Amino acid sequence: MSDFFDSDEIVKNYDSAIIKRIFSYTKNHKVLLLLIVICLLISTIAELAMPIISQKIIDDVLIVSYVSVGNNSMLVKEISDEFPKIKLLSIHDTYFIRKKDFMLFSNALQKKIESEVTVFKGEYYIASVNQDSLKIVKNYNAELILDSNLLAIQLDKLKTFSKSDLKIIRSNDYKKLNLYGVLFFIAVCAALFGTFFQTWSTSLTGQYVMKSIRMQLFDKTIHQSLNFLTRQPVGRLVTRLTSDVETINEFFTDVVVAFIKDLSVMIGVINVLINMSLRLGLVAILSIPPVLIITSIARKKARDAFRKQRKILSKLNAYIAEHISGISIVKIFSRQNHVVKIFKEINHDLMKANLGEMYVMATFRPVIEFFSTTSIAVILWYGSGLYKSGFVSLGTLVAFVNLVRMFYSPLQDISEKFTILQSAMAGGERVFKLLDVQENIPDTGNKTLQNVQGKIEFKNVWFSYKENEWVLKDISFSVQPGHAVAIVGYTGAGKTTITSLLPRFWDIQKGEILLDDIPIREFSLKALRSYIRPVMQDVFLFSGTIAENIDLGLGLSREKIVEAATIVHADEFIQKLPQKYDTVLGEGASNLSAGQRQLLSFARVVAHNPEIIILDEATSSIDSETEHLVQLGLEALMENRTTILIAHRLSTIQHADVILVLSEGRLIEKGTHNDLIQLKGVYYNLYKLQFQNQGI
Amino acid sequence: MWKELRTLKPLLAKHWWRYTLGLLFLITIDYAQTEIPQFIKRIVDTILASGDETLLQSYLIFMLLTAAGIAIGRFMWRFFIHGASRRIERDLRARLFEHYMVLPMKAFQDNPTGELMARATNDMQAIRMLTGMAIVAFIDGFFMSTIVLVRMFTENPSVALRVILPLPIVTFIIIFFGSRIGKRFKKIQEIYGRMSTLVQEVLQGIRVVKAFVKEDFFKNRFEKENDAYRTANMSLVLLFGFFFPLINFIAGITMLILFIAGGNAILENSMSAGTLTAMIAYLEMLLWPMIGAGFTVNTIQRGLASLKRINEILQIPQEEKTRNGAGAVTIPQRGNFVFNNLSFTYPGANKPALDSVTFTISCGTTFGILGRIGSGKSTLLKLMTRILEPEQNQILYGNVDITTIDIDQLRKLFGYVPQESFLFSDSIKNNILFANPDLSDDELQNIIQIAGLEPDLALFPQGIDTIVGEKGLTLSGGQKQRVSIARALAVNPEILVFDDALSAVDTETEEKILKALCMLRKGKTNILVSNRVSTLQIADCIGVFSNGELIQLGTPEELLNQEGFFAEIAHMQSLSKEKDSYYE
Repeated sequence: MSDFFDSDEIVKNYDSAIIKRIFSYTKNHKVLLLLIVICLLISTIAELAMPIISQKIIDDVLIVSYVSVGNNSMLVKEISDEFPKIKLLSIHDTYFIRKKDFMLFSNALQKKIESEVTVFKGEYYIASVNQDSLKIVKNYNAELILDSNLLAIQLDKLKTFSKSDLKIIRSNDYKKLNLYGVLFFIAVCAALFGTFFQTWSTSLTGQYVMKSIRMQLFDKTIHQSLNFLTRQPVGRLVTRLTSDVETINEFFTDVVVAFIKDLSVMIGVINVLINMSLRLGLVAILSIPPVLIITSIARKKARDAFRKQRKILSKLNAYIAEHISGISIVKIFSRQNHVVKIFKEINHDLMKANLGEMYVMATFRPVIEFFSTTSIAVILWYGSGLYKSGFVSLGTLVAFVNLVRMFYSPLQDISEKFTILQSAMAGGERVFKLLDVQENIPDTGNKTLQNVQGKIEFKNVWFSYKENEWVLKDISFSVQPGHAVAIVGYTGAGKTTITSLLPRFWDIQKGEILLDDIPIREFSLKALRSYIRPVMQDVFLFSGTIAENIDLGLGLSREKIVEAATIVHADEFIQKLPQKYDTVLGEGASNLSAGQRQLLSFARVVAHNPEIIILDEATSSIDSETEHLVQLGLEALMENRTTILIAHRLSTIQHADVILVLSEGRLIEKGTHNDLIQLKGVYYNLYKLQFQNQGI
Repeated sequence: MWKELRTLKPLLAKHWWRYTLGLLFLITIDYAQTEIPQFIKRIVDTILASGDETLLQSYLIFMLLTAAGIAIGRFMWRFFIHGASRRIERDLRARLFEHYMVLPMKAFQDNPTGELMARATNDMQAIRMLTGMAIVAFIDGFFMSTIVLVRMFTENPSVALRVILPLPIVTFIIIFFGSRIGKRFKKIQEIYGRMSTLVQEVLQGIRVVKAFVKEDFFKNRFEKENDAYRTANMSLVLLFGFFFPLINFIAGITMLILFIAGGNAILENSMSAGTLTAMIAYLEMLLWPMIGAGFTVNTIQRGLASLKRINEILQIPQEEKTRNGAGAVTIPQRGNFVFNNLSFTYPGANKPALDSVTFTISCGTTFGILGRIGSGKSTLLKLMTRILEPEQNQILYGNVDITTIDIDQLRKLFGYVPQESFLFSDSIKNNILFANPDLSDDELQNIIQIAGLEPDLALFPQGIDTIVGEKGLTLSGGQKQRVSIARALAVNPEILVFDDALSAVDTETEEKILKALCMLRKGKTNILVSNRVSTLQIADCIGVFSNGELIQLGTPEELLNQEGFFAEIAHMQSLSKEKDSYYE
């Protein structure tokens, strides 16, 4: 009994046609799409900027040291030619450069410099010259060089300075620190608003897309032919319109943008890494393939586990629902123990499936985390070598550690995103499949009538629901304007079918149906159906108030509604209801009796004032009090209208102008009541057997 | 709050070792995780100072080993704690379902199926979160933040103090957003529900929609619901969209404070660069406990609310085995059913459903019941089987008040064929064997024949193993009735009850079934509720009910010759029977 509960695929693999189709719905929202791109850019840049700023803080503010390159102008020119970006500071004709820049020089150049520099060896800190700084430096008796602008002081000496003195000497660094602080703050704010508006704009786009799909699908579905709609379980169509479309929205909000964001962050990280240090960047990239392999394995495992879990979950839910609705059967056979035993088995299976899914997740996440740490370790190890040989600065190394973490964080939930993607694929496929169904009644006619007389003519009509199983065979009759025709016959004779043909719920295969001598196919569907109103056997009422059910969006005034109800004698029972016309009908209008529902449907027809009515009389038992009212209502309804009656009550039939007797799809007798009684044919027998005891 | 937890206590206690081991792993890796930044710090400082390669290598190897240990530990705590919470979920769900099965029928009228379903599904999920993630987040958050704070304060107290100041805001944000998000989410669900109801209604009433050309009207209504849905969703996005960015924002601000405060400390020579990098890593570690704290509060709130809802059901007392829990009387082997001034009024009704009914169903006879809808006949059957609880001494079986008989023993007397056949989505065979799985194959074949199922089974591809769709949708009404007849026969009951159970079966088949039944059930009691006089002909005695009163009682012959309801109905039906025969 595996999967008839849930025969629909829950997940499906990537399908570019479906993706394309989903995206085609965004065409009308170019501004939003633009906003998404801008926000995505802002938030990605802001997120990447943070580690870069922290690197700058460390390298440019916190750890600053200079070395002298001497005063040989030839050498200085050589350096500035080869490394035009390097800043050379000159103090009293001696040139200084940043130590980290020095480290980038070739060994030969470094050696050359070292041999040139004889006086100012070692690392220096350079500060600007003013009265305060001069005073302090003198206090510490440090070896220094200075001119009118700058002073250089040995780094080791600087470490002995007091806090307050350092504040003055390093005032430039404090200023820079604050400047970077402001930049960092801007980045944090940009990330906040960028991410928010990105979420907001994608959600809005997703909502618009969802609405477009829903509206399109709704429109399409309700215009499909009854032939198609009666074949489809209502529940399935509802699922298509609701939860399946919802998966497409999830795809938008949780997958697309997250994917793009994650991807751009990852690409951005790699870019920054390579820019900071080509070699370290390459090391980081090297860790991608194994991560991708692990991710794809985990994805597959997670999908399988998820499928299994969903399957058992729906089985369990169905079991609970069924045994709650069937509780009286369980009780009456006192099978509680047995039912509980089976439940426990399914429940246990569910736990196992849940644990199975948990194991996949519990393995995958720590493994990815471990990879992240390993990458950091490898970078630190490799980086330490590079640092020693001067290829990277400490700030770069620290930034790397952060960037690598950033690189791995999107991978943590990538398998969940894949699951959403897959269920969106499955949902999308089902939605689009339904959207591609083309089974409507062709609405090709364009005729409308100003004044409908109400003459109906069936000419040699043949009709079948299924090929070659004729339900109506060669039916011909005509009804004069304002007349009533009653159709009688045993169940299955094809009476009800006739009511569906005139408003073209189904199209006939052979013959012709004419309204006022015009073939009904030549009218537009809308016009045709507004001339003819069928009253169905089982009255369908929508949830809403009584007034709304009569009016059905016509926008009639309350007086008109009451008038319509009064004509068919529905007003009497409505007035007795607590909220009268504003009484809300429950699900399936269970708060009304069958007779009251009939009356309400009569009122609905009168409110719509058609020229022709088709009436399928209810066979269901109605209490005698309402029955009388229904009869009165019916008479009011038929007044001045062409009426086709599928009648079960003798009194109704006797009032008809013509009686048609159907048997096995053929019209076998035709005439007035008296004609047919004298004929002593089928009608006579029917009358004798079925109607006699109703009392006349 | 503690009162509600009572239900969970034994379940938590049962898995104490899983929790202990899981939490041990959790705390251990919490500690180990805070070691990683220490390694990074030492490595950075080593790089800056000497660049001693062997020292670096040993640091790195230890760091990797720690990371591997953490990965294993992470798996282990999930294994133990999620393992426990999934098991608790299973056990609590099983307990709840078991309780459902023994609840009195009234509880099912008071609580719609959807509500009971929600308790066994969504609420269970909340319990799982409560016993799993909430505990983890709480313990993890507590230990992690303690360890990290200690570490940070050891590194540099003044910097640490300034850095952690904004962090509690994160917790408040989550608590604040949590409840509001919940409310807006509920609103979305509500509109979503309205939308699906509308779609369902339109599709169910599609004939009316088409006949009245109301496609555009409903399209407009659908569009309005769609717009409302979008608005509700976007109002949630307004909160939700700010949620994570705001947390990241605060994390960014603390980082900024760290750079300024830590930077100052480095400029002042009071902190090393390595310490700064370690602090950066610690700060990231502190963020999760703060988020976790907020989630814990929300999860606990939600979990307790769910637990309360589950407790409400668990507290409904079971169906009483005997009235007032008195010791059960031994059930008589056989006996007459005596109805002694039986009256019953549904709660809230102003008119009794049964009014002082007195009669006897003699052991070994077939008793027929005729009556219109609302005449009280279904109520009578429900009282006999104690689906509804009768007053004391109003119904006697073998001279024993049925309210003193163990309810299961009483019900085992009956084979019941309900008016509306209810089958489970299982094979036809399992449905027949529902109440008696031990039935031999020969007996099963016999029953199938008597119930007139044989020709139907021949039509099904899998025969008796054909799966019945949900609520028996793949079978016709008549087939369903016959399966449920077979189900009742399978227990070979002392008393067989047909609650209008042949209404969907054509007269010919009905006759066959009744004939076979008479043979099989000779000497046993049968109760036949029917609207067909022809069916009731086989009864030894017939009771006619109207408006809760027994208006006629006698043999079929007596009643036919008596003026009254029975004779009237009989007359009408004999005419329509002629019609049937005419048509054949």
